[in-house]
Amino acid sequence: MNKQTLNQRLRYSDKGNVHMDFHGATNTTIEFIIKKYGVETMNDIFKKVGNEVYMDIKQHIKSGNIKMLAKHWQYFFDRENAEYSITFKDDEIILIVKRCTAYEHVKKLVGDVSPNFCDQTIKTNEAIADGTPYEITTEILGEASCKQIIRKRL
Amino acid sequence: MIPSDHFTRFYNEVFKFLELQGEESLKEYWLEISKNQEKHTLELFREKGLRGMYEYWDHIRIEENCDLDLKLENEKLELRMNVCPSLSKVLDNDAKPMKRYCDHCAGWIGPIMDKVGYHLVYDVIDRTKPQCVVKIFKDKQEALEEEKNAKLLMRWPGKEK
Repeated sequence: MNKQTLNQRLRYSDKGNVHMDFHGATNTTIEFIIKKYGVETMNDIFKKVGNEVYMDIKQHIKSGNIKMLAKHWQYFFDRENAEYSITFKDDEIILIVKRCTAYEHVKKLVGDVSPNFCDQTIKTNEAIADGTPYEITTEILGEASCKQIIRKRL
Repeated sequence: MIPSDHFTRFYNEVFKFLELQGEESLKEYWLEISKNQEKHTLELFREKGLRGMYEYWDHIRIEENCDLDLKLENEKLELRMNVCPSLSKVLDNDAKPMKRYCDHCAGWIGPIMDKVGYHLVYDVIDRTKPQCVVKIFKDKQEALEEEKNAKLLMRWPGKEK
């Protein structure tokens, strides 16, 4: 992928150091909310994140600018030193995460990662795409690895 | 993945949900986060006391990009947060901030201080501004005296009054 092609301006473009331990707190939160309130409640919170926190990406996707999502992927996976690739096709972008450093960091911290840890990606992606002409699918390929695709809905 | 850079905005959504469930739900969650944070702090604080706390927050100052002044004395550690990156991100957000976002910090630190036998005085000053002053004392009486100077004193589960 030619990084020069992604000159989108992100709504949130954090700089400075990265505090990976926050992923441990995310894992704790997922386990706490699911145990006390159930998985649907956890998913509803992820939907709020997708719809409200990432409102800007959603608006860009609504207007057809799906490269904004690719820019978000690129920027933050680079910051977290993940191994990934992004492929552009006609009206479709494919992200393959070969090594998710968030997952790996949590595994190092606590040993057992919540089986719902990747719901943060799956459900937030679904919410970002909801109400737009596009869908975002997330396929878990294995531990710390997934494929995410944004494409036009059929 | 919700990037670690965006964790506080996710945290904010969790707080908003829990606040709707009631005060006890929020406190229960803060205690859960406190237990999670014990992995990073408890042994260090028990072994090295105020020096260990200084080391922990100095690491946090760098890793979380805080504008934070730390002052270690024989009987006291003072943290002066000039610009808190956590609340700053929650305020710079397309989702609405939880009005009591700052309360979570005392909510997880307080129970750890109770466990290690130190005394926390947490002055948030103003919940709408990303700044606060935290003082940790060896001596309980000194902490109680300092509480009188706080503009907006925070409580936590186990220290309600």
